[in-house]
Amino acid sequence: MSDSSISTDMSHEITKHTEAVYVYEAPVRIWHWVNALAITVLCVTGYFIGAPLPTMPGDPSSSYLMGYIRFAHFASGYVLAVGMIGRIYWAFVGNHHAKQLFIPPITKEHIKGMIHEARWYAFMEKESVKCVGHNPLAQAAMFTMFVFGTFFMIITGFALYGEGAGMGSWQYEYFSAWVIPMFGASQDVHTFHHLGMWFLIIFIIAHVYASIREDIMSRQSMVSTMISGWRMFKDNRP
Amino acid sequence: MSVTTTPNGYKLDTGGQRVVIDPVTRIEGHMRCEVNVDSNNVITNAVSTGTMWRGLEVILKGRDPRDAWAFVERICGVCTGCHALTSVRAVEDALDIKIPTNAFLIREMMAKTLQVHDHVVHFYHLHALDWVNPVNALKADPKATSKLQQLTGPKHPNSSPGYFRDVQTRIRKFIESGQLGPFKNGYWDNPAYKLTPEADLMAVTHYLEALDLQKEFVKVHTVFGGKNPHPNYLVGGVPCAINMDGDMSAGAPLNMERLNFVKARIDEMKAFNDNVYIPDVLAIASFYKKQLWGGGLGAKSVMDYGAYPTVNYDKSTDQLPGGVILDDNWDNVMEVDPRDPTHVQEFVNHSWYKYPDESKGLHPWDGITEPNYDVSSAKGTRTNIEELDENAKYSWIKAPRWKGHAVEVGPLSRYTLAYAQGVEYVQEQVHKSVAAFNALAGTDLGAKPILQSTTGRTLARALESQYCSDMLVDDWNALIANIKAGDTATANMEKWDPSTWPKECKGVGVTAAPRGGLGHWIRIKDGKIENYQCVVPTTWNGSPRDPAGNIGAFEACLIGTPVERAEEPVEILRNLHSFDPCLACSTHVMSEEGEEIVSAKVR
Amino acid sequence: MAKIETFYEVMRRQGITRRSFLKYCSLTAASLGLSPSFAPKIAHAMETKPRLPVLWLHGLECTCCSESFIRSAHPLAKDVILSMLSLDYDDTIMAAAGHQAEAIIEETITKYDGQFLLAVEGNAPLNQDGMSMIIAGKPFSEQLNRVSQHCKAIISWGSCASWGCVQAAAPNPTRAVPTHKHPGIANKPIIKVPGCPPIAEVMTAVIAYMITFEKIPELDRQGRPKMFYSQRIHDKCYRRPHFDAGQFVEEFDDEYARKGYCLYKVGCKGPTTYNACSTIRWNEGTSFPIQAGHGCIGCSEDGFWDKGSFYDRLSGIHQFGIESNADEVGGTAAAIVGGAVAVHAAASAIQRATSKTDQGDS
Repeated sequence: MSDSSISTDMSHEITKHTEAVYVYEAPVRIWHWVNALAITVLCVTGYFIGAPLPTMPGDPSSSYLMGYIRFAHFASGYVLAVGMIGRIYWAFVGNHHAKQLFIPPITKEHIKGMIHEARWYAFMEKESVKCVGHNPLAQAAMFTMFVFGTFFMIITGFALYGEGAGMGSWQYEYFSAWVIPMFGASQDVHTFHHLGMWFLIIFIIAHVYASIREDIMSRQSMVSTMISGWRMFKDNRP
Repeated sequence: MSVTTTPNGYKLDTGGQRVVIDPVTRIEGHMRCEVNVDSNNVITNAVSTGTMWRGLEVILKGRDPRDAWAFVERICGVCTGCHALTSVRAVEDALDIKIPTNAFLIREMMAKTLQVHDHVVHFYHLHALDWVNPVNALKADPKATSKLQQLTGPKHPNSSPGYFRDVQTRIRKFIESGQLGPFKNGYWDNPAYKLTPEADLMAVTHYLEALDLQKEFVKVHTVFGGKNPHPNYLVGGVPCAINMDGDMSAGAPLNMERLNFVKARIDEMKAFNDNVYIPDVLAIASFYKKQLWGGGLGAKSVMDYGAYPTVNYDKSTDQLPGGVILDDNWDNVMEVDPRDPTHVQEFVNHSWYKYPDESKGLHPWDGITEPNYDVSSAKGTRTNIEELDENAKYSWIKAPRWKGHAVEVGPLSRYTLAYAQGVEYVQEQVHKSVAAFNALAGTDLGAKPILQSTTGRTLARALESQYCSDMLVDDWNALIANIKAGDTATANMEKWDPSTWPKECKGVGVTAAPRGGLGHWIRIKDGKIENYQCVVPTTWNGSPRDPAGNIGAFEACLIGTPVERAEEPVEILRNLHSFDPCLACSTHVMSEEGEEIVSAKVR
Repeated sequence: MAKIETFYEVMRRQGITRRSFLKYCSLTAASLGLSPSFAPKIAHAMETKPRLPVLWLHGLECTCCSESFIRSAHPLAKDVILSMLSLDYDDTIMAAAGHQAEAIIEETITKYDGQFLLAVEGNAPLNQDGMSMIIAGKPFSEQLNRVSQHCKAIISWGSCASWGCVQAAAPNPTRAVPTHKHPGIANKPIIKVPGCPPIAEVMTAVIAYMITFEKIPELDRQGRPKMFYSQRIHDKCYRRPHFDAGQFVEEFDDEYARKGYCLYKVGCKGPTTYNACSTIRWNEGTSFPIQAGHGCIGCSEDGFWDKGSFYDRLSGIHQFGIESNADEVGGTAAAIVGGAVAVHAAASAIQRATSKTDQGDS
């Protein structure tokens, strides 16, 4: 961390490092995988809440399928929300890489890096930039799709949860009470929450693909970094 | 000031005093009426105007045909359900869906319940104050009222002098409070009110009884359709599944308890019609024996599509057969075909709409509606009309015609057609009522002079209500018999999925709505509504003039009616109310071309 | 000002005993969900309050709200009209017509300025200079604004006055607007009682509450009385156990429809509709749409006409095509992205292979 360019310009962290760097501390890694699991459960259960499975025959007392699906959805929703709070906390107390997720990609240098990365993905550049944290394009996607998308889902999700919890519940007072009028009607909140799921799924497709591809083709490690925390570099050029 | 004779035989004189009534109250929706009254206080010209427009058919364009019933049901909350029924019939006709017998019977029961409810509420709560003077009821002797009740409706249990005294006390205290509520500014000292105080008290009492009972009648809709007003319908059948004797039948829409509940309501309807409604109408009518005017078009040209088959899809079993009678010739009943482009056509040259060629009418499948609000030749300003000009455009209602003829629709038309075609039940009802009227009034009149009047229109409505309550009993029995035979199907879902539909199709649905023959025309393309048109009873009756100059039923019924006081519209209201006008129904019309205007005007 | 009688005086005059008056009060308390200790309070209120003058205006509507109102069983519509309110103007039931009717409006404004209640059924259109809704030769808009300046409070009956309802459904050809969005409406408290129509007993209970407690009921953020609109139909639906169990009607009149399973899959909007249908039910508690086998169509919700088919669980999203819902839009987008990813991966693999060959050659 002695390189001054890193500490002053965290926004994209283009680096000249040649040896491995410890990027993701344990709480970030744990959060990442717990979050991934929660989102998976949320997407699957959410889909089945919108389009339920075929009818279970028999007496209603003998099964509770929708109940379990909804319970799993709500429980995972809480995990996602609490995880997000923890992650925000870690952005303050963790290493400087922990802050990158929440920084909007707006500096000039960042945009330059984004263009480079976009050209790299379009096969117009021979090499990717070399980054300790997220590459500039990834940071942009993380911020606009993941952070914004997740906040949107947490807010609309609690607004919908508050409807069931009822007036007087904190979920209703802090979320439903203003979110529903903002969208017009409850049905609209449902629709946008549902669209939000697809928005996140699109992010996940891109995220998973890009990570694996970067792992293979870029100048640094990716998937293993989120497991071990260490970023490895494949060359020693700047 | 000019004197003209319309092609359909009415002499119009625009001289004399012009009287404006806006709003016409105690109707559904919004209406204006202007009349010319001569020096003998006889109406010589009448101008009826629909004063609202909602544009529902534009809204329907591009929507799912299976949803259409809910939209058009909201055309009217008074005749609630009849537009929904007509809509599902039109969609099923277009898609060639045949509904199960149970669904047919349940829909029939809902339609007839509506008839009874609508007719009762119309007579007691919208129409009665044209005949009955509640203030005069204070002078009544409760004992004499009790006697009158026992004479006219001997089977009605609420007939003791004490009962009438209680009601009288309640009315007296209400009127003495000075806060007259709905009775405020009524025309209570107008000599046009003819009832004795006793008859007034009896009628006011039944006004209150009917108000309590009407909420019971509609519970038939609540059982089958979940709520009233605006019960739910379903393309392909009815949503209320039957589970008489099985697992979880208690939570099913229809089980024995539900059907018994319906039966109890039917019995109430029948008892009220037989013991109160019919006797009241006859008793009140007998006091107005010298006021048998207002026949108008009903005395000449009438139309209905026909209704209430005993076998579904078999028009020959209609219990109120349809047709057209022109110029009072009861021997020649002509057929009406809603699909024939020459039969039903709408004209707009006196309506606030635009056609490329306004001298011609258009069949509903090919209808155009483009709003064209224009009062430039009227007295007053664009947003403050003093007097309309009936030679220009003057109404939000179009002018539908049958082969170019203005016709009246409604219970009187249906009864005229049924009587002329020899329906025994109807003939017997009419003969009995004519005899009862003559006995009470001390007259010796035949059926025609009584029926072809404002009174007759009101009487026909009561008789139809009674007929419907009898048919309801038959339908309930038929439903039970069908279930007993093992058929519990309530919906045909074979063509529910739009992928099973033809690429393009069109259909028509017709219904006997409380106010007359109702038709909906639909075109479906690629699973969506391409064009939707409703031609409703009050469009027929309340229509403005057509290019030939024929006047519609509202205007015709007023011509020649004498009024006691020109400035107090008691007789005008009585005549108009005898049609049970429904303006929200009549003035929503819009079609294919509509969307262009919308984009021009709104966006 | 003319002497105005109290509700109690009216009831006494009409021959109702004190004993049955008190019984009425405790029943009212119960029907409003209040504890019996409120009964004396209601009795006191009714003994001292004058009958409230009401002007009930009708705009673009279908009269279903009035029709619903007269279906009220407790209190009976006749008791409301004869003993609770003074319904001085309501063009659907009033005896007077034409200028005698219009005169009542001016008289009420003079006599009870700031004291009367304005009930609005339907709404006003703004297109055609407001002349697609004419009252007394003038736009209804003018009447609405004039009366609103002088009333004490406004009740928006039904979905027309509360949200716009069917005539305001896309593309809203007459540009009909609900009361609170009407240009020029006075700044008075507005109580929205949505529904197409609202439940009869909900309508009369809102009125009874206001008369009894001399205050406007507690409203939610959208202006609806919390006492009837704070829960979704789904929350108190008798078919809810079937929902939780995953037991659904798959198609109308199937085996499950006959067993009364949940109607969620055939488009029931109960989970997104705030109303009292599943608790108070319709027509004196006889039934409600779900019990009669048809899903809720969401008639008390803002813009319920434009949320896709009544038979689809998911809303239609018109911006993305003629007929699509969230799953179709999202699924399509995800498929496109997935496809793009596959193509990109293939291109990457080829590029990598060729560059390796290049390196080998060099």
